[in-house]
Amino acid sequence: MGQGISKKSLAMISLKNVTKDYKLGKSVVRALQGIDLEINKGEFVSICGPSGSGKTTLLNLLGCLDSPTTGQVIVMNNDVARLSDTVLSRLRNKTIGFIFQTFNLIPVLTAYENVEYPLVLLGLSQRERQQRVLKMLDEVGLINFTKHRPDELSGGQRQRVAIARALVTNPKMVLADEPTANLDSVTGEEILKIMKKMNEEHHTTFIFSTHDSQIMKYAEKIYNIRDGRIS
Amino acid sequence: MKTTLSLALRNVLRNKRRTAITFMAIISGVVSLIIFGGFIEYTFWGLRELTIKTQLGHIQIYKKGYWEKGIAEPNKYLIKDPEAIEKTFSSISDITTVTRRLSFSGLISTQEKTLPCKGIGVVVEKEKQMSDFETIVAGKDLEAAESYGGIVGSELIKALGGKVGDSLTILTTTPEGVINAVDFKVVGIAQTGSQDYDSVFIKLPIEIVQDLLNTTAAEKIIIFLKETKDVEKIASTLKEVIDKNKMDLELKKWSELADFYWKVVGIYHNIFDVIKVIISVIVLFSIANTITMSVYERIREIGTMRAMGTTRARIIALFITEGALMGILGGLLGIFVGILIANIINMSGGIYISPPPGMSKGYVSLILIVPKVIFYAFSSILVVAILSSIYPAYRASRLKVVEALQHI
Repeated sequence: MGQGISKKSLAMISLKNVTKDYKLGKSVVRALQGIDLEINKGEFVSICGPSGSGKTTLLNLLGCLDSPTTGQVIVMNNDVARLSDTVLSRLRNKTIGFIFQTFNLIPVLTAYENVEYPLVLLGLSQRERQQRVLKMLDEVGLINFTKHRPDELSGGQRQRVAIARALVTNPKMVLADEPTANLDSVTGEEILKIMKKMNEEHHTTFIFSTHDSQIMKYAEKIYNIRDGRIS
Repeated sequence: MKTTLSLALRNVLRNKRRTAITFMAIISGVVSLIIFGGFIEYTFWGLRELTIKTQLGHIQIYKKGYWEKGIAEPNKYLIKDPEAIEKTFSSISDITTVTRRLSFSGLISTQEKTLPCKGIGVVVEKEKQMSDFETIVAGKDLEAAESYGGIVGSELIKALGGKVGDSLTILTTTPEGVINAVDFKVVGIAQTGSQDYDSVFIKLPIEIVQDLLNTTAAEKIIIFLKETKDVEKIASTLKEVIDKNKMDLELKKWSELADFYWKVVGIYHNIFDVIKVIISVIVLFSIANTITMSVYERIREIGTMRAMGTTRARIIALFITEGALMGILGGLLGIFVGILIANIINMSGGIYISPPPGMSKGYVSLILIVPKVIFYAFSSILVVAILSSIYPAYRASRLKVVEALQHI
C-alpha cells in the first residue's frame, strides 16, 4: 500500500491494465490490450509502432481525450474516468499541450493568436499573454512571423507554431502524435531538436509517437507498441 | 468574450460566398419586413387620419347618457347650447377646431322617386378647415353663401335620376314626432369611397337640418387637434373642464369610435404575422444550413479547440455568436437596403392599390419608414439567427474529441 502511494506520487501518468475497444460496424475491435505504463515528470518518451498498432489510441488516453473501456488511467493523480467533461477540459488546458501530425492550427488566427488561444482559455491578462506568446515564438524562431496566418507559413513553421502553442501554458506534459510525419526529414529533425530543447529547458514531459527510426534516437525511453500491446 | 467575438467574426467572413448567400437571405427578410411593415403603417396612418379628419374628429362630446340610451333615442340626448360649449373648449391650447353636427334619417325625393337617406348637418365655414371625407365629382362643395344648398352621394343621385341644380325634398320626423319636410338645391355630387354610403348620404348646412328637426340643438360637438398624439392629454383636460363646470356632457376619443379602423388594423396585423412567420422560417433554415455546413467543415478544428481545453459551453457560445453576428450584420445591411428601397418607392410616386371591396376608389400607398418597424424587423431576424444556430452549436459541442481530431 505504502509502495503504491509512493509510486502514484512519482508517476505523472499511470495506466493500469487498460483496454480500449472500438465498434467497427457490428464488430468490436480491441485497440489496446491490457496496457500497464508509467511515465514520470520530465521524461522524453517515444511510443513507437507501425500504423494501426494503437499509438494514437494510447496518446488519446494519456491526453485525457478519451476514456478506457476497462482499466484505470491516472493523469496527475486524477482518475480520468471519474472527471466531468468540464473538469477534463480545464485539466487539459492547464497541464497538457498537444502537437498534431497535421499541425491543427486555427486557420483564421495569426501565428500569435494561435499561440495565445490556450492562454485566453486560462483567463490570463493581455499583458501576461503577450509576454508569454512573444517569448515562445522567439524560442521556436518565429518572432518575425507573429502576424502570419497558417496558410502563409511552411509546414515546419506551422509545426513550430504548434509547439509554441503546446508549451505556452507551461504544461506538465506535451503529447505529440507523429509530429514529424508531414515534414521532410531535415525539418522533422529540427522539430525534434526544438522539442528536446524545450524538454531540457522547461523540464516538461514529452511523449511523442512515431514510426520513424531517425526520430526515435532523441527519446530517453522508447515504448514499442504492436497490436495494442506494449512489448 | 472578445476572443470569441473576434474568432466568430473571422469565421463568418471565412467562406465569403456562402456568407454572402446567407446575408442575401437575411437582407431579403429584413427588407420584406421593413417594406411590408412600412406599407401597413402608412395604411394605418392614412386610415386613422382619414377617419379622424373626415368623420370622427379627435374627440367627440355628447350629452351625458347619449352612449347608453341616446343611440335608440338620439333626439332626447341633444346638446341644447352648443355655441356656449364650443366657446369654452375653443380656448384650450392644441385644439384647432370645435364644430358641431346634427344627423338624421329620412326620405329624399324628386317629383318621381323617393328613397331612404342619411343626412348630416355641418357648420359650413368650419367644415372648410377639415379634409373632405368625400370627393366632389360634379358641382361644388358647400358654401356658406348658399344656405339651402346640399351635397348628395353619387349613387343616391344616380338612383334618384337627379343632377346638380335640381331641387330635392327631405322628409323626416322631428324630436316631437311631427313629420316635417325641407327643400334644398343640389350644389354638388360626391363620392366617399364607400358605395354603400354613397347610396344614402346627404350633407347639408346644419341650419337646414335644425329647421328640418325643428331644433337649435346639436347631436355632438367634434373637436380637432393639431396632432393625433395629443388626444389622451387633451381628453383629460376636457374631462377636467367638464367636471369643473359641472357640464352635463360626456366624451369619446376617436379610438373608441373607430370600429372599422381597428378591424382593418387587426386584419393587417394577422397578415403581417403570417408573413413574419414565413420570412422567419426561410431565414432560420438559411442560417441553420450555413452554421451546420460550417460545423461540418470545422470538425477537426473543433476537436483541436476541445483538446486544448475549450469547454462545450464555449464551443456553443462560439457558434451562437457566429449566428448572431450573421443576424446583426445581415440585419444592418437589410435596414440600409430596406430604407433605400422604401425611399425609391416613395420617390417614384408610391404603389397604386386597387379599390378595396366595397370602395369605389383606389389609392396610392407610400412606405413609411417607422423606427418601430425597423427595430422589429432587426430584432426578429436577430432572434431567428440565434435560434437557428442553437442546434448546430449544440451538435458541435457534443462531438467526440477523438473522432473530431481524426475527421478528414
